[in-house]
Amino acid sequence: MKINDLSLYSKYAFRDLIRSYSKILSIIITLLISLFILSTILTIEDSLENELNENSKVLLGGDLEIDYNKREGDSNLIKQIENISTVSQVVEFSTMISTIEKKPNKTSFTRIKAIDQNYPLYGDVIFEPVGSLKKLNEIDNTILVNENIFKNLNLKINDIVKVQNKKFKVIGVVKVLPDIGGAFVFGDFALTGKKTLDKLELNTLGSFLNYEYKIKFDDYKNKDKKINEIKKIFKNNDKVKIRYPENSAGGIKRIKRIIDNFSQFLSLVSISAMLIAGIGIANTLLSFINQKNSSIAVQKAIGINSGNIKTIYYLQLLISLIFISLVAYGLSFFLVPVVDKYISDGLGLNIEASFSLTNLFIVFVVGLLVIIIFSIPTVNSIDQIKASSLFRNVFQSLQFKYSKLSISLSLLLLTILVSLFASRSSIPTYSLIYFASFFICLAVFFYVSRFIILLLRKNLLNLGISSKIAIKNITQSKSITPITVMSLGLGMTLLLTLAFVGSNFKREIAKSIPEIAPDYFFLGIQNNQKNLFKKIIIDADKEAIMEIVPMVSAGLVKINGIDPNTYISNSNDSYWVIMNDRRVSWVNTIPKDNPILEGSWWDTSKPNKLQISLDSKVAKDFGVNIGDKFTLRIYGREIEGEVVNFRLVNYQDLSINFAMLLNPQFAENIPHEYLSTIKFKNIKSFNEVNFLDKFPSVSIIKISDYLSKVTDVLNKVFIAVSIISAVTVIIGLVVISSAIIVQGKIKIFQNLVFKILGFSKKEIIMSSIIEFIISFLSIIFFSTIFSVLASKFIIENIFQLKWLFEINMFFYVTIGVGVATLALIIITNFRYLSPKVYPLVRNE
Amino acid sequence: MNYTIDNNSINILKNISFEVDYKETISIVGESGSGKTSLIMLIGGLEKISAGNIFFKDSEISNMTEDEISEIRRKNIGIVFQSFYLIPNYTALENVSLSLEINKLDNATQKAKEILDRFGLSNRFNNLPSQLSGGEQQRVAIARSVVMKPELILADEPTGNLDSENTENISSLLFNYIKDENASLIMVTHDNNLANLTKRKITIKDGVISENQ
Repeated sequence: MKINDLSLYSKYAFRDLIRSYSKILSIIITLLISLFILSTILTIEDSLENELNENSKVLLGGDLEIDYNKREGDSNLIKQIENISTVSQVVEFSTMISTIEKKPNKTSFTRIKAIDQNYPLYGDVIFEPVGSLKKLNEIDNTILVNENIFKNLNLKINDIVKVQNKKFKVIGVVKVLPDIGGAFVFGDFALTGKKTLDKLELNTLGSFLNYEYKIKFDDYKNKDKKINEIKKIFKNNDKVKIRYPENSAGGIKRIKRIIDNFSQFLSLVSISAMLIAGIGIANTLLSFINQKNSSIAVQKAIGINSGNIKTIYYLQLLISLIFISLVAYGLSFFLVPVVDKYISDGLGLNIEASFSLTNLFIVFVVGLLVIIIFSIPTVNSIDQIKASSLFRNVFQSLQFKYSKLSISLSLLLLTILVSLFASRSSIPTYSLIYFASFFICLAVFFYVSRFIILLLRKNLLNLGISSKIAIKNITQSKSITPITVMSLGLGMTLLLTLAFVGSNFKREIAKSIPEIAPDYFFLGIQNNQKNLFKKIIIDADKEAIMEIVPMVSAGLVKINGIDPNTYISNSNDSYWVIMNDRRVSWVNTIPKDNPILEGSWWDTSKPNKLQISLDSKVAKDFGVNIGDKFTLRIYGREIEGEVVNFRLVNYQDLSINFAMLLNPQFAENIPHEYLSTIKFKNIKSFNEVNFLDKFPSVSIIKISDYLSKVTDVLNKVFIAVSIISAVTVIIGLVVISSAIIVQGKIKIFQNLVFKILGFSKKEIIMSSIIEFIISFLSIIFFSTIFSVLASKFIIENIFQLKWLFEINMFFYVTIGVGVATLALIIITNFRYLSPKVYPLVRNE
Repeated sequence: MNYTIDNNSINILKNISFEVDYKETISIVGESGSGKTSLIMLIGGLEKISAGNIFFKDSEISNMTEDEISEIRRKNIGIVFQSFYLIPNYTALENVSLSLEINKLDNATQKAKEILDRFGLSNRFNNLPSQLSGGEQQRVAIARSVVMKPELILADEPTGNLDSENTENISSLLFNYIKDENASLIMVTHDNNLANLTKRKITIKDGVISENQ
């Protein structure tokens, strides 16, 4: 086609579209909703990525970070760095903060940053009141707490709190920290001055002490040279980690991973919505072309060939899509501030929407693929229109036109669409499984609709007139039953699956608090405190169930003589085991909740050899076999041991679990401290504040607080997920509504005949209700089967929790969707209930 | 030529053969179902004959592809229908300029205005078909079919949906135009008065030409 022709046909397409856009409104609405979701996901992903990239130095807290872990940095080496840059020492640790002047007094497990006057090198700390940050290093024993601690401990400015056994004055509230990560992401945090470190006991494993030196180059142009100089300084110091902005902020990366997974799921929801919309697009477009039957015949009569007429219709779709893509993408920018508020307030991130041509292009291409896939058989129906019909004044109703070429093209485009989504996702296999399930469901629902029609055509029952009309409506050639069953069936399946997963997950989490989990974790109990600790707990509650285990910090530095960091990437699920030092423990007998899957328990005939029991998942992820050699670094000394067994470790039961256990005969001579879990019979008998008076350096984590935070987050996530998934049902409803409108003329004629024959409105409405009930019952039946299978698989295999059929939730969802659909059907049909006789009999 | 449908089971036209001269006007008459409309559909290349040949000037159109026939129809044949068949969401002017535009003629709008003006519709340029009377709609339809100055005009009961006054107006308009522009006309009609205005009358009965005078 020449450019001139294209311009001419574009003109016709544009004109036709402007004059008849209302007839394809359902195409516009459904595409707009689905592309809006996709655009939002892409825009938010992009904004977050930009924020992380642009602010990587802020998130790291410098151009470079030297991480000394638990030890203070070598002052000689740090001085050498200070000669070429500005250095800020930041020491992070976890400890308890408790009130002493309140009734009742409360405690909070807190991550604290002890900062110097150079902090922060990049970014801003947001705090109140003015000047309080500077005072931290000017006035001893001062602290800034985060808003959550301030609220939960009922604090006021200048209140006194205890950190371990030292008194501190709360001189302000810190709202946002620039360099965030790890515990600072979700937990409570505080800031204090550098001198604090000398006053507190931070030598326990429970304090999770970490020394970091943030570095800012005064002359950034020579950064590469300076980085090399710093690398040279630490060349022979393998216990120090150098971090760069591009791989900074582990906590944020974890959030990014969660967001990536979440957006992958949302992408799949959006493509589901789009594919359901596609069913509607095909139907509405066929109706649109049917209405244009005589106009197309005229165009053919005056010499426009079929191919050029099809071009006009494809151009109309293309113009609509360009408009819809722009609007959908533009609208997504309005959601970014909302997400910014909910996701990033506490993280100190400031997400701002930025225009991305690539994302706009992706939105457009996805929309284009969906439109073409579903419009090929529809637009091809134009071939069925004959100009000769104009002489006879008889226009045949058009049908979808399939050919080998069009089917192959549709399949090719569908493959491209699926590949596009799968390749963008972090776990392509999951996406492919999802698509496979989606198309299987689609096929089943299609055949269900055909089966219903076949069954009802048998006319086995002797029913009332409304039922007969309903059955006739279902079995007629222009029946909307296949569209209703497919679009609503897919939406219902997705919604029910997520509702089942959500309700099972919430139930299991809620249930785990009283049944499985202990009430408290106690971290950092010293060897000489063990007996007193036991006594205090038993004095408080004789029936308390106590588990107390030794604990030491160990780094896995070699596997069979090779540094695992050289071949295990940080995308490995078990990377956390080698990322930093881990806590390890030892026991005489096999823990009852950690059954051995492979190998044998300790060989007591070799008490002088280190034997290691490993989490089976870690073994699988690292490709470790029984008999492999692990080199652990404990207190700076490297000790080689042999992996003798693999255990099944379930971290979700919230009891004491370790990735690595050592044989006690070898390990008990290593200096160690204790970790304990306590489940009280009467939790009120334990007073946290009194306990901390006796054990100021011990950290307490209250499981119920922790779980309620997790449950709260999960609740919000599942509400968000359910609302977004409901979009598929909404699109299904729009598709059904448009299908009814497409039927409009037939309905009007049918209702006119009924009117002439003396049917009441009640009988006609009743027939719509019966028609709906027949379709909806079969939808519910199959949606339930699919959603039960899918949710059971997810809950039992991915989350490894118990699955139950949540009957209440099932009724809420099905009745909710059922009532909404029925209302929509009645409302849409209502306009056809009282046709005016005159225009119809005059064929106007 | 022959024309059959439903896998040759129904013979619509049998052994039809005639020629149309330049500037000649022919009416085709006959009873309902005799095959009149089928005949002009075949002449217009809108259906395929089952056997025989149809020539338009020196080109045999019966062997042509749909695109080739479309090209000939676009430039050389104008068709007038009984039911007007204007495109409902196009104005009168747009309906007429459509033919000119797809033939890539310059000043399409201006030429369309001129022909509408000539047919007495200068005050109806921007009206949609639904805003026009039956007579006006047929005048627009005729304007659309002749605006390319086709050498052959095919008309199927052009006044069949009109009252007597409009029938007179439309027929005089059509015949005056044909006379002025030297076009040929093949017209199917039941109206003897209208048929009498043509130079030759072909009567079809049961798919064969029974009279040709």
